[in-house]
Amino acid sequence: MWIRLRRPLKKVYNCFKPLKYGFIGHKWLCTSPCVAECVPALPTASRLTVEQAVKLWTGHFQQRGVSEPHLSSQYIIAHLLGAKTLEGIGQDRLAEFLTQEQTEQTWELCSRRLTRMPVQYVIEEWDFRDLTLKMRPPVFIPRPETEELVGLVLTDLQMKQGTGLSEETSFRCLEVGCGSGAISLSLLKSLPQLRAIALDKNKDAVDLTRENSHSLGFQDRLEVHHMDVMRDADIIVSMCSPVSVLVSNPPYLFSEDMISLEPEILRFEDHAALDGGKDGMQVMRHILTLAPKLLSNHGRVYLEVDPRHPQLIQQWVEESVEELDYLHTHRDITDRSGVNQTAICLLNNYIFKTFDQEMYSY
Amino acid sequence: MAFTQAVKMHVGNVCGRSWMSSYQRGSTVMSQRQRDYGAVLCGRCQNSSQKLCPNSRAMHATRPLMITKLLSVDEIFARRSLQDYIKKMETEYRDSLTVVNMTEGQQDGVEELRVKRTRVSVLAPLIQYTRELQTKQQEFAETETLLKDDDPDMRDLAVLEREACQKAIQDVRQKILSLLIPEEESDMSDLVLEVTAGVGGQEAMLFTAEVFDMYQSFAAHQGWGFDILEYMKSEIGGLRHASASVSGPKSYKRMKFEAGVHRVQRVPKTEKQGRMHTSTMTVAVLPQPTEITFTINAKDLRIETKRASGAGGQHVNTTDSAVRIVHLPTGNLSQYNSARIRQWSMKLLFLYRFDLKPMAFYLCFGVIGVVSECQQERSQLKNKEKAMKVLRAKLYSMRLEEETSKRYTARKVQIGTKGRSEKIRTYNFPQDRITDHRILKTVHDVREFLVGEELLEEMNLALEEFSNQEILMDILGENNSDQ
Repeated sequence: MWIRLRRPLKKVYNCFKPLKYGFIGHKWLCTSPCVAECVPALPTASRLTVEQAVKLWTGHFQQRGVSEPHLSSQYIIAHLLGAKTLEGIGQDRLAEFLTQEQTEQTWELCSRRLTRMPVQYVIEEWDFRDLTLKMRPPVFIPRPETEELVGLVLTDLQMKQGTGLSEETSFRCLEVGCGSGAISLSLLKSLPQLRAIALDKNKDAVDLTRENSHSLGFQDRLEVHHMDVMRDADIIVSMCSPVSVLVSNPPYLFSEDMISLEPEILRFEDHAALDGGKDGMQVMRHILTLAPKLLSNHGRVYLEVDPRHPQLIQQWVEESVEELDYLHTHRDITDRSGVNQTAICLLNNYIFKTFDQEMYSY
Repeated sequence: MAFTQAVKMHVGNVCGRSWMSSYQRGSTVMSQRQRDYGAVLCGRCQNSSQKLCPNSRAMHATRPLMITKLLSVDEIFARRSLQDYIKKMETEYRDSLTVVNMTEGQQDGVEELRVKRTRVSVLAPLIQYTRELQTKQQEFAETETLLKDDDPDMRDLAVLEREACQKAIQDVRQKILSLLIPEEESDMSDLVLEVTAGVGGQEAMLFTAEVFDMYQSFAAHQGWGFDILEYMKSEIGGLRHASASVSGPKSYKRMKFEAGVHRVQRVPKTEKQGRMHTSTMTVAVLPQPTEITFTINAKDLRIETKRASGAGGQHVNTTDSAVRIVHLPTGNLSQYNSARIRQWSMKLLFLYRFDLKPMAFYLCFGVIGVVSECQQERSQLKNKEKAMKVLRAKLYSMRLEEETSKRYTARKVQIGTKGRSEKIRTYNFPQDRITDHRILKTVHDVREFLVGEELLEEMNLALEEFSNQEILMDILGENNSDQ
């Protein structure tokens, strides 16, 4: 049961438990689930300039304990005025007054943010690498770490293109769990000869990916299918193989970590896109089992995983999937302590030419 | 009109302004003519003649003139040093050519042969033009005889031919001069433009914003790309620090003359009593190197994002995509002992607390290393790319400054190469003039200048001409010292 933005605000909040713990020391401390009364009133007498509106809403967000208050109000108001960030709006525009319509829109969008809806869902778009994609709850919002995953895939594919290996496999890639289509569409944008197939078990994600691919003009190079990698394995193999690259940002959170997620994620994003089972590897295992049947020889699997996974993956692959060879873990360089990094695992696929051949050593 | 205006302005500077530095009193805005008169009028005397009044000051330049005047093409060609230099080039060309022709087919001394060949190809156009000049001059001499002809039609024809010859000679001379000036490696690159508010508080920041807008419209006027990488505003609409990437043909070549300290004299908006203030702002122009000319090792960089500590990936949803990149080797931590490091960190804390981040970063410059940060875009990758651009430009310009300071210490006026502490231009609003101190050129109409189109272009071209002449004199001067 997910939020539909078209319903009026009051009905929406009936789905949730009382939100009073979310409001810290606010003078309109409410005890009922109906949050609509707690939204700050629209200014009727005076008009606000853009800068004043940003400051006002930053204050409101801070009071309610909304995360990243200044950035939230900046992005929402900049979006309303047609720019991506507040810096994109000229100095003179910042001192101008908002029209009545703009003020009303500001209030509506910022009120949504007050319910801890992520900014990306409030403005219904976000940037990923050099693309701007539509966002809609509950489809998973692409994270900045995934931009690095795409960068790695691109580097490898561009090298492959150079050596001419691409011709045999007709240069295709498969994405499992496409969400908004971020990974596939970025790859398509940077590699004009690539053809991509994207799968997701959530119908909303499939629709959103199709919508994004149409608005970016990649609909003839991207196939999107509503399939579950755990249940529809055979159909996937018959339809999609062979591909040279299998890439995925699978749900990799440990089930025990799900409870401690912030409200932005818990209340609005699809839990099935996050929960990876007890050890976080449930979906990953299915993908890796399927990989040898999908990939061509020397094809590669790229997975974004939790920092605790690379060792486990390496062990599991050695035991259970003979054809796959663990290659390398690329760690996100921004965290110096090394504890909380996301990791990107690369695995290489070797196909046996005949069954008589010796096994490859790891 | 210009003379009395200039004199009144100088008087305004001198009488009752004891706090102004000797630099300002001495060498501003006097053209040759006024210096020759050697006297200034006190504003109180209505005297417009050059009589000295008791309160006036003798108007001698307090320091030697940096550059005299722009020589014309003919004057340069009249100089002996140029003729000698051209002769030297010709002999070099002949020698190299004979060497190349003789050793054709031989394998010995391949390196030397290659050097000679490149010399030949470099000098060939110059020699060709000098020969063309000689032929034109011969033609010109021949027309003289025609002038003394009896036939009036022939005389008219001769006059026309003379004019055509003159023009051709001028063109060829211009071409020769431009060939003599060597091409700098960095002239072809794009640049990163950085503006920082200097002395003067809020007024300086307001002025910085105006100058940044001026450069933005100048770039548009020239057809260059102008991509803002960083923009740190102040409370009342001014600008503390901003940087932009400017790309286009000859962009660095033109913009390098804008580097230095710009000074403004006006009554600020923030001023209640209507007094005139002087504020400054600094412009830095950093050439942007290509990947080949300048590479940075990824291990030398520390890239910081908001998620420096704490979980990431699917655990967190954030819209903070700011990126900061620190270049580690450029900091020399070892030369400081622990007490000084403690001092530094207290200073930095103080500055951070009072939101003077740009100052903090400049202090960090020597301790931590070169830092660049960017939060202009929503995508983290794009912010990282922009921050890398700025970092590369900063490091490259540091390297260039080292190299050029070694090479060009002999030059008196180093237009565009002196670094960021040179006071280059004054914008005086009450007197409606802008003066460039390096070439002592004055342009009027400050409002029009700040629009960033024709007037700025005019100033820029003048600077370029002076710089070219200076380089040329330098080359010829070196030539003379060899002999």
